[in-house]
Amino acid sequence: MSMLRRFMLALSTSLALGAAVPAGAVELAADEIVVGTVSDLSGPIAMLGVPVRDGMLMRFDEANAGGGVHGRRIRLAVEDAGYDPKRAVLAARKLVQHDKAFAFIANMGTPVVMATMPIILDAGRLHLFPFSPHRATYTPLHPLKFQNFAPYYDYMKAATAHLVRARGYARTCLLYQDDDYGLEVMKGVEAALEGLTRELVERTSYKRGATDFSSQIARLRAARCDLVVLATVVRETVAAMAEARKIGWDVDMLVTASGYSAQTHALGGAAVEGLYGVSVLPHPYAEGASVELAAWIERYRARFNAEPNVWSVMGYTLADLFVRTAEATGPALTPAAFARALESMQFTPDIFGSPIYRFSAEDHLGNRHGRLAQIRNGRWVPITDYLD
Amino acid sequence: MLAFVQVFTSGVAIGCVYGLVALSFVLIYKATETVSFMQGDLLMVGAFTGLALNLLLGLPLWLAAPAAVLAVAVLGALLERLALRRAIGQPHLVAVLLTFGLGMMLRGSVASIPAAAQETYRLPIAADTLAIGPLVLAASHVWVVVVTLVLAAALAAFFRHTRTGRVLRACSEDAGTAALLGWPVARMHTLAWALGAAVAAVAGLLLAPVTFVHLNMGFVALKAFPAAVLGGLTSLPGALLGGVFLGVVEALAGLLLPEGVKDVVPYALLMVALLLFPQGLGAGRAARASV
Repeated sequence: MSMLRRFMLALSTSLALGAAVPAGAVELAADEIVVGTVSDLSGPIAMLGVPVRDGMLMRFDEANAGGGVHGRRIRLAVEDAGYDPKRAVLAARKLVQHDKAFAFIANMGTPVVMATMPIILDAGRLHLFPFSPHRATYTPLHPLKFQNFAPYYDYMKAATAHLVRARGYARTCLLYQDDDYGLEVMKGVEAALEGLTRELVERTSYKRGATDFSSQIARLRAARCDLVVLATVVRETVAAMAEARKIGWDVDMLVTASGYSAQTHALGGAAVEGLYGVSVLPHPYAEGASVELAAWIERYRARFNAEPNVWSVMGYTLADLFVRTAEATGPALTPAAFARALESMQFTPDIFGSPIYRFSAEDHLGNRHGRLAQIRNGRWVPITDYLD
Repeated sequence: MLAFVQVFTSGVAIGCVYGLVALSFVLIYKATETVSFMQGDLLMVGAFTGLALNLLLGLPLWLAAPAAVLAVAVLGALLERLALRRAIGQPHLVAVLLTFGLGMMLRGSVASIPAAAQETYRLPIAADTLAIGPLVLAASHVWVVVVTLVLAAALAAFFRHTRTGRVLRACSEDAGTAALLGWPVARMHTLAWALGAAVAAVAGLLLAPVTFVHLNMGFVALKAFPAAVLGGLTSLPGALLGGVFLGVVEALAGLLLPEGVKDVVPYALLMVALLLFPQGLGAGRAARASV
């Protein structure tokens, strides 16, 4: 038999055998639950990936220290895809086939999530709470996919509408990153203004990685805006606000949840005082923390030798949702049973001051509500409750 | 009108940063015929080195900044001695890929420090402003322009009036003849890499108060490369000029042109400039003279 024929035979045999294994069969070991995550620990959003992973590790370690979930220890299998969909596909396959991951949690970045979600769902694994503000992560309804964060559209529509109504702004403008993120925010802001029969007076964009915002700010100022919505990330938020203050323009600004970070006021200092932001989860400030939160911050510091931030809280919260749902599911843990349990769970506010997460059989998006916060004296202070 | 001047000055400042990185490309390309793809990474390393010397060792900024430039210059020289020298005589692609790989290694080594990978930092430079009549300049922008001018003058003096500078120029013009005349071509290559790395580090430190210090700050080199091409790839003043041109056009296009068009204009102008001056802006005079 020639090499080629032998190879083809081997290939077809393995394909036939592979097809014989029913999709969706996850053999759960008696003593372990593997939770996979395709993270970004080295790429452009490593500043989210690392604290999210650490937050999850912390919560899973706590569960394991308490004897695990119905006698099973939880092991977090982390793969770094560096925001690259090609690497993410390999990582997801490895986690599915080799690590036999029971569920995927907090996969990081929209391109990564879009590339890996079909692989994960086809293998019959749970796809939980990815870091992608994309509707495809919870619609159309799929029994195994759940999301915890709404698209920017929802948060920004509510926040802009509330702020414009409360403060009576007449000329709302937008500075946006010219990609999907910026456009999504633009739609939300436009929808909010339409509801108030107002228009977006001026909009101007920048490219990711832009260094200078003088032209954008000059343009917005020429349009006599009284509220500038920022579809920016931390660095651009600071740069835009600093540029406005530099030329003596004391306009109010509102930034998306991407700019809600302790880094914003750490880098911006006096220039970002008074900035409004949308907060989906609160930043864990050590100063003025409750006893429980202070103890949590201390444990985090001791474990990772770093200050926890809003992303650490997110990782911890997501892992907590997983642990509590797995406990509620009972000893006979399957993806389907876990999903049914999650649909009936009601998560009450925790030590961080998170919103309420609620899923149902018809709705796999756990939360749609952010709240408004403002930088006062160098820290974010919530100024409204979670907005409807 | 005020807005126009305001944006123009910002454009000049950012253009100077593009120009400095372009200058570092050209220094290396002229001397070694290697297109270096790691200038952005050297820039980032320079800024992080300054930051580490300032924050961790507590050196004052006026000492930390030159020390960081020196450290990156030594790094550039070392890389040349250890790795890049071996690419001489190989096809051009070898050296290009080598710089690309070394750049990734530099980035990877910084990223392996968790504090560097996750956070954005600011050097403790006050965010001061300088008012000239109604015109307000950011102190960081003034710094960029002043340092660029001083550095350009120093480099010009070095190449014109020092023996080493002239030897480096000779080796850049014709390495073979220079070697026959007994000039140390290999050592001049090391010097060119050290200089190129140092200029990139200066650009990184100047960019630090503008965009802060973070892992991706080296992406600014993507803008510097067209600036170097615009300058003709072999002309030092051309590279600086190309950078300033790109910075100003970018800024003014953002102010004056409609959304969507403004991002195209700098590159469209780049193409027009290259059509009119195929040898680059810096070579324009020489090209005309030879006709």
